[in-house]
Amino acid sequence: MRDQLDVVPDAILAGRAADGDTAAFESLARRYGPHMRASARRLTGSYADADDVVQEVLVQAWQQLDTLREPAAVKAWLLRLTGSRSIDLLRRRRNHASLTGPEDDQPADAVSPGAGPETAVVAGAGITSLKAALSALPEEQRRCWVLKEINGQSYDEIARTLNISPASVRGRLARARITLVREMEDWR
Amino acid sequence: MSMPHDVFECGHTLEELSLYLDTGEFPDPPHLESCPECRSGLDSLRRLSAAGEELFANDLAAAGSGRDDWMKDILANLTLELRPGRSIPLHSDDPADTLSETEGSVIALVRSVADSLPGAVAGKVRLEGDVTVPGEPVAVHVDLAVLFGHPLMPRAASLRQDLATALARHTELNISAIDITVTDVIDAPREEL
Repeated sequence: MRDQLDVVPDAILAGRAADGDTAAFESLARRYGPHMRASARRLTGSYADADDVVQEVLVQAWQQLDTLREPAAVKAWLLRLTGSRSIDLLRRRRNHASLTGPEDDQPADAVSPGAGPETAVVAGAGITSLKAALSALPEEQRRCWVLKEINGQSYDEIARTLNISPASVRGRLARARITLVREMEDWR
Repeated sequence: MSMPHDVFECGHTLEELSLYLDTGEFPDPPHLESCPECRSGLDSLRRLSAAGEELFANDLAAAGSGRDDWMKDILANLTLELRPGRSIPLHSDDPADTLSETEGSVIALVRSVADSLPGAVAGKVRLEGDVTVPGEPVAVHVDLAVLFGHPLMPRAASLRQDLATALARHTELNISAIDITVTDVIDAPREEL
């Protein structure tokens, strides 16, 4: 049965999980946990924070699954929750940093997720230059880019996550891409 | 190739092209075919997009598998509360006793009966009707995924029978209907099962 759960569509798992089936929920978590983790790592720039985010999102998802109108859309929903939680965490971290004084006001989100065990995965030169260009972007632009390209969120969804207008999302995303294109072309 | 300006000589901008790639919206679509600057801008944006996909594939590989220890640790730390649902009263010989079972336990029963059928996996289960009042008619709805290669109709017929038997044995519900909806036929490679 457990193995069968791993081959059934998302809607079946989400429906069962909403009914209280923990095995189905865990199967969903295994299916999309790596994507959630990758997204949270890019957004928070911290391995430990990313795993905290994934855990918090799973707790929230279990509590709110029965409010999900379209069970087949559970993947996009989990990634939206991951985006929101990651942004919340960055805001908390910033508030904390400003309380502890300017000397500690190190923007931890500027830490490149490229530094760390991840480098053990052989990365192409294109990826390396994109990572470098990404970490040099203004924070707001980088968030828009990650929510769009890694989470696959729409302009409207990104706008709600970041609490800005869809027009701002469009502008920031375009500026992010323009800068990234330049950096990448320079590298070429 | 360099991109010194955000605004091309044709008057269009990289922001417009960025929006076009995401939404397909552009004020003058035929222009994109003929303008070398816009085409080159689109090419650059597409290369960036491809690099983004490559980065994501790399990040995903680095994040590990959902079967690894990190996910086991996270799952072990979750405390998933039960979902009891409505309370279903049960008959008692002694009026001083109040007996009941939970809707969640009946739904779990339906699910396990459906799962025990070879090639079938239950999805969402719903009990329609007022289960809190004894004798009220209750319709059972089950979503079902069936693995490819298992016959649908005989599966549904025998499942309906199995469910009726199990519900009669383990509950006092007045089952008025058992609706089975096959929502998915799964083309699962045998060796992965």
